[in-house]
Amino acid sequence: MKKILAILLAALFCVSVTSCAAKPNSPTSNTDSVSTEAGNEPTGEKQKITAWAWDQKFNIAALKEAEKIYEAENPNVDIEIVEFAQNDTIQKMNTSLSSGTTSGLPNIILIEDYRIQTFLKAYPNSFKDLTGIIKHNDYSSYKLDFMTIDGKTYGVPFDTGSAVLYYRKDIIEQAGYTEADMADLTWEKYVEIGKAVKEKTGKYMLTLDPNDVGQLRIMMQSAGTWYVKEDGTTPNLQNNAALNEGMKIYKQMVDAGIAKSISEWAQFVAGPNSGEVATVPTGCWFTPSIMAEASQSGQWKIAPIPKLGAIKESVNASNLGGSSWYVLNDVKGADVAADFLAKTFGSNNSFYEAILKNNGIISTYLPAAKTDAYNIAVDYFGGQKIYSDISNWAAKIPSVNYGLHTYAFEDIIKAEMQNVMAGTKIEDALANAQKQAEAQIQ
Amino acid sequence: MTRTIKRLFSYLFLIIASFISVFPFYWMIVGATNQSVDITKGKLTFGLAFYDNLKNVFTTTNIAQSIVNSLFISIVTTLLAILISSAAGYGFEIFSSKARKKLFHFLLLSMMIPFAALMVPLYRLFSRLNLINNYLAIIIPAAATAFLIFFFRQNTKSFPKEIAQAARVDGLSEWKIFFRIYMPMMKSTYAAAGIITFMNVWNSYLWPLIVLQTSDKMTLPLIIGNLNSSYTPDYGMIMIAIVIATIPTALVFFIMQKSFVDGMLGSVK
Amino acid sequence: MNKKENRSGWGFVSIAAICILIFSFYPMLQSLITSFQSGMGVNLQFAGTTNYKRLFTDPQFLAALKNTVTYLIVQVPIMTILALFIAVLLNDNQLKFKGLFRTAIFLPCVTSLVAYSVLFKSLFAQDGIFNQFLMTLRIIQQPIQWITDPFWAKVAIIIAVTWRWTGYNMIFYLSALQNIDPSIYEAAELDGATGFTKFFRITAPLLKPIILFTTIMSTNGTLQIFDEIVNLTNGGPANATLSISQYIYNLCFKYTPNFGYAAAVSYSIVVMVGLLSFIQFKVGGDKND
Repeated sequence: MKKILAILLAALFCVSVTSCAAKPNSPTSNTDSVSTEAGNEPTGEKQKITAWAWDQKFNIAALKEAEKIYEAENPNVDIEIVEFAQNDTIQKMNTSLSSGTTSGLPNIILIEDYRIQTFLKAYPNSFKDLTGIIKHNDYSSYKLDFMTIDGKTYGVPFDTGSAVLYYRKDIIEQAGYTEADMADLTWEKYVEIGKAVKEKTGKYMLTLDPNDVGQLRIMMQSAGTWYVKEDGTTPNLQNNAALNEGMKIYKQMVDAGIAKSISEWAQFVAGPNSGEVATVPTGCWFTPSIMAEASQSGQWKIAPIPKLGAIKESVNASNLGGSSWYVLNDVKGADVAADFLAKTFGSNNSFYEAILKNNGIISTYLPAAKTDAYNIAVDYFGGQKIYSDISNWAAKIPSVNYGLHTYAFEDIIKAEMQNVMAGTKIEDALANAQKQAEAQIQ
Repeated sequence: MTRTIKRLFSYLFLIIASFISVFPFYWMIVGATNQSVDITKGKLTFGLAFYDNLKNVFTTTNIAQSIVNSLFISIVTTLLAILISSAAGYGFEIFSSKARKKLFHFLLLSMMIPFAALMVPLYRLFSRLNLINNYLAIIIPAAATAFLIFFFRQNTKSFPKEIAQAARVDGLSEWKIFFRIYMPMMKSTYAAAGIITFMNVWNSYLWPLIVLQTSDKMTLPLIIGNLNSSYTPDYGMIMIAIVIATIPTALVFFIMQKSFVDGMLGSVK
Repeated sequence: MNKKENRSGWGFVSIAAICILIFSFYPMLQSLITSFQSGMGVNLQFAGTTNYKRLFTDPQFLAALKNTVTYLIVQVPIMTILALFIAVLLNDNQLKFKGLFRTAIFLPCVTSLVAYSVLFKSLFAQDGIFNQFLMTLRIIQQPIQWITDPFWAKVAIIIAVTWRWTGYNMIFYLSALQNIDPSIYEAAELDGATGFTKFFRITAPLLKPIILFTTIMSTNGTLQIFDEIVNLTNGGPANATLSISQYIYNLCFKYTPNFGYAAAVSYSIVVMVGLLSFIQFKVGGDKND
């Protein structure tokens, strides 16, 4: 009876080894039969392009607007938009790309900026070089550097995560500060104002989630540094002055009792909506969440994000989040997909005006910032021209190379941050983090 | 006297346990009637937004189609899985032999590996079979599970073998014994297996996500995942979708649980 | 067993066995091969036992292992006993509203994870209902940092998992209790047996196969615990609640993908569950007479 099992096992093993050995060469289905000039010659059959993105009101809405514009010009192209949650797109891409098949992958995919280099390096030749299809001067350099490898740019930049300080004018004034005080803050001053707010109004200055250290990302990028060095792989934790300073400020916020501890996105949104917190320092994509609470209309303002006073490179501009569009090489219709991106996200002012008006999407396409749409006074923010403010601040964002290990190293830092809260010296924590990070990338 | 006290204690315990269990359910239903802003603030009373939330979910997402898809996949998979796995569980227990026992223990190994480790090879397999974006890719791997085989094998231990023996003497074939005698007698086991399998398939997320590609094929959990991944999640819509997603399993449970009451009644004695 | 019966035996088990061999063991073998390779994404190189050696020095894996074993030791006994207790209570013929209680206690495992995580986090929040309740009763003076304190976060996970899966395990016991012939109890009652004796003399021995089944299943489920961790604490604070499955997920999808190392970590779970199941089978006396 043992024999039967042994034979079964052996047979299985043979099957799997042979099938591993006989890796299929690139499937025949993915050669691109379309000429480089897409669109203008009706071939009788509709050319189908697929795009994946997340968020109905944001990315999908922008895609739909672009689709409308492009399909009007190119009636023989049909663009199919499929919604997948952000993490889900990552799982699907990794599974498909690493199993060596392109069946079921889309032509166009939206990828978060922090992750793109991982994809470009882990799956070489999977993404189309888009260097020629956009004018590089049309975008801020902070949005192009991380998607460029060996002089080839692989993406079309999309939204900005330009960091802003949302603050409640009324609460700040009760604490004895003015609008002028809020402009161009340092984090040190911010903590001081926070203490006054807590003392005089009983409200928290901000919420902090120990599982989400976006604050540290904002602080680091404001000084032009990141978890990795310029090369995108070498850990840059131990001697990273901005990170060290950021952790110090973070601890001060918690120790001073000006930060409400939360553990969930819903609680992060509830902070401003319920009137519990006076400020929210985060990416400008948070605007719709602030505006969801109609009763607070007119009480909110935005200011540039604070900078690290002790770090001379640090400026009052930074970034949190943001994504860009990429095209897969081996999926039929790659050229048409690239053309679609070039004609819409890559060059079209009126398109950008439309998505700002309809969906509040602030792009990284510089010419769009000069259009009228960006000069609207927003009633909810007391008539402040928030879009033009955000665009102006975005122009000053220092460029960093996010590299390959943002999430891996950040998990190490999160763990060390907890040790720091418990009393470990920051220098020791960072030295330890550096050791772990180096071990991880061997 | 002590009987009454015991009884009271039972009721008290069950009432507390039920309350704790039902509370999140209540909260979900309340959430479905409130606006997103109020839900995040932790409002616990019914609101007036139920109709709006419902309208929003049905107009902005593909939810109607996804309910049909989920129902189809879940019902087909459940029936198939129960049939195949119960036959195997029965076979392993009734026709017990050293070889089959070894095979059974070997099959158990298959449930011990985290699914994440199987995803890439499995995806490769199905893309070679040309079944990507096909429901078969979801149904086939779930059609036989070590979990169900194990469950049926353990329950078959309480099946009176002399009944099967008597039927054999009467000249019934082995499959007839299985279908006509074993199945009706093991009603409550089948009910439990049905409930659990339906629930697992209905809620499965990762594998359907990986193999499905187009909007028209998506299942309900994927739609909820999409709602939840927005930069500004609309919790009112999410709650409605969740309530809709919970109803079928609760319903299946409610229908099937009758057999826990009359498990042995009507069985061959 | 005669030849004919032996053939029938193979007939009954073959379809399921073939399905599992193709759709589980074939991928399992491939991932076993992958576990001896290393590299990011598709750039895999043969690496011998490097991945397996790395397990012993990887602080994140060791933290995950420690947490997962903690869950197992605390969680499985609590849940199994609680489920059995409730099932026996509910199997009482004179109890009113049985269907209602049964459905209520089963509901948590039907409740969607999304709702469950948002709700649990708000209950466990610093100013959430749990803390308010405990402070009102004067059980604690200071609010407990449920989600952000390493110890209490583990407790929160165990509470949440117990809440979610007790009703699920109860179902197995309930269905098995129905297969016990009531006349056995009647006979015992005539002999003057009390509730306790009935449970330990009749119910427990007859339920042994199912108790074995649920403990093996819960062991397997707990060692592969993923959903609750990701949704409630996301492994934090400081990896205090990180589970092995979540670490595997991170290695595949959150970090730069390293499928080779992820496969090696996966096989550490296979080895553990396999060993524990083997012991449980031996202890549970799984004999086929």
